Amino acid sequence: MLNEREILSTLEMLKNENLDVRTVTLGINLFDCASDDPQRFQDNIRRKITGLARDLVAVCDQVGEKYGIPVVNKRISVGPIAVAAAPFQPDDMVAIAATLNDAAAAVKVDFIGGFSALVQKGIAPGDRALIEAIPRALTATERVCASINVASTRAGINMDAVVLMGRIIKEAAALTADSDGLACAKLCVFANIPQDIPFMAGAYLGVGEADTVINVGVSGPGVVKKALDRALESNPALDLGNLSEIIKKTSYKVTRVGELIGREVADILNIRFGVVDLSLAPTPNVGDSVGEIFQSLGLKGIGVPGTTAALALINDAVKKGGAFASSNVGGLSGAFVPVSEDLNISRAAEDGLLSLEKLEAITSVCSVGLDMVALPGDTSAETLAGIIADEMAIGVINKKTTATRTIPVPGKTAGQYAHFGGLLGQSVIMPVNNEKSENLFIRRGGLIPAPTHSLNN
Amino acid sequence: MKKVVISVLGQDRPGIIAAVSGLLFEEGCNIENVDQTILQSEFSGIFITGIPVEKNYENLNKRLVEGLKDLGLEVFIKPLDHSQPRLEFCESEPFVYTTRGPDKKGLVASITRVIADYGVNVTNLQAVFRGGDNPSDNIMIYEVAVPPDVIQKELHAKLRRTAERLGLEISIQHRKIFEALNRI
Repeated sequence: MLNEREILSTLEMLKNENLDVRTVTLGINLFDCASDDPQRFQDNIRRKITGLARDLVAVCDQVGEKYGIPVVNKRISVGPIAVAAAPFQPDDMVAIAATLNDAAAAVKVDFIGGFSALVQKGIAPGDRALIEAIPRALTATERVCASINVASTRAGINMDAVVLMGRIIKEAAALTADSDGLACAKLCVFANIPQDIPFMAGAYLGVGEADTVINVGVSGPGVVKKALDRALESNPALDLGNLSEIIKKTSYKVTRVGELIGREVADILNIRFGVVDLSLAPTPNVGDSVGEIFQSLGLKGIGVPGTTAALALINDAVKKGGAFASSNVGGLSGAFVPVSEDLNISRAAEDGLLSLEKLEAITSVCSVGLDMVALPGDTSAETLAGIIADEMAIGVINKKTTATRTIPVPGKTAGQYAHFGGLLGQSVIMPVNNEKSENLFIRRGGLIPAPTHSLNN
Repeated sequence: MKKVVISVLGQDRPGIIAAVSGLLFEEGCNIENVDQTILQSEFSGIFITGIPVEKNYENLNKRLVEGLKDLGLEVFIKPLDHSQPRLEFCESEPFVYTTRGPDKKGLVASITRVIADYGVNVTNLQAVFRGGDNPSDNIMIYEVAVPPDVIQKELHAKLRRTAERLGLEISIQHRKIFEALNRI
């Protein structure tokens, strides 16, 4: 027998606190689709994806309805295309992206990730072809997401790849100038990319993964914020240790929901269950914001002094709760701080509380990085590469994942607004230091060596 | 031993269970199962008890009625009937239906009519109607066992229509979600 409190508190989380399963992502390995003929390769991947993902959306909806918890997004991640399609040229890669897009549309998923390459130590011909194809591929498609891993703690930072990505981001923005550089919103540059991220735009299926796998991304920043507000209302004297405990318990609950739904979807589809990624992923709606959690903790807004400490507390508590709730935790798992996708964070940027430099600082304790950051359109490729290099260094040295998803908005300057639409949201354009100048350090290229694993200070 | 079901009803106060179980003990009975509920000020208890074969349960009833009179308790006793096959719900899917909405007459009757028409058993019901229009003051929580042959989609669609007609907001969820969230 359940007690009334258990039932009502659960309903409250669902109805008023935006508890949902943010994404169920079906990972599909495409290596057995390999061919030396681009057309045959595309036929193979279309057949494999549409065959395996045929029932994904219907099953997610059915399970969501059974538990009264919406599965907001259903997505697909595939193995890195640069590996599966290694023999091909950039033009072929663009055509492959279109095929991925069509396959995703055919099974009614909104995003397909894995137009990816791993180049942390060097760039193979397939990797280069894919990277060169990115601007056109992301312009010509709606649903395809790309990610490039340019650094890792084991390999160091491939600065040649970093420089290349600076140029690619500029080109992608230029090709989608009429939509504020939208192509860049579907492109992440990573250090230490996890192999099982269910969240876009970084989702791809790693080389060591099974043929098919269901990974789940749960969210729930609204649930965490409301839990903190409720606790503080009944006892305003709670200290940060107490508040951390509340976040931990809440994240436990949120993770349990994700695992329950993910396992059931996986069972019905007869696909193995992979991981729950228990990230706090905001949407551009009031009450579904990571930024609001900072305010509940007592900060004026994200970006003011104290923010890094607060995010360290939040991120750690989320991980602890999640790790207790499920033995299969993976992906990014922590708190996201995507500027345009979080109404509260984009407001903090607008109000001057949050600068690009502070954002970079807080990414040293959060789970992603400089995410959905709109920059002035004339930010040079070298400056973009410098921003990427800094972010990669944080990940590499701290043995964690970091990423950048920056959008140099064509024709716009700092203080103006960029609109990306839907879940991608909108944001004020943040000013960049040394925006247009040259950067000899970046231009030198080469490999920044992997860090030492001793002398940890 | 044969078995009887005893229900005890009356205003709640300390000592009710002690009094009932004391009398049963004196009569040589063995309690197998007890459950009790307090609604507002009222106590209700149900006891499944083994009584010695030579005992007449009508005499036991008399003894209990007299013994509990001073506590203001009503007693009802009946033999446990094993002639009807016991309903088996192990194959059923446990769901929880929760409604919220302004209080009016007939809410429980209308919702349970739908549930009953589909042969679904209510395993637990908690309902609070404090009156007025505040939805959180007027809540019904039904735990039900939906047999495998019931078309859940159809039943749940009908429940949603009924709730809408009554001005109620209804949530229909498999019970596992509450366990997953609240229990380790």
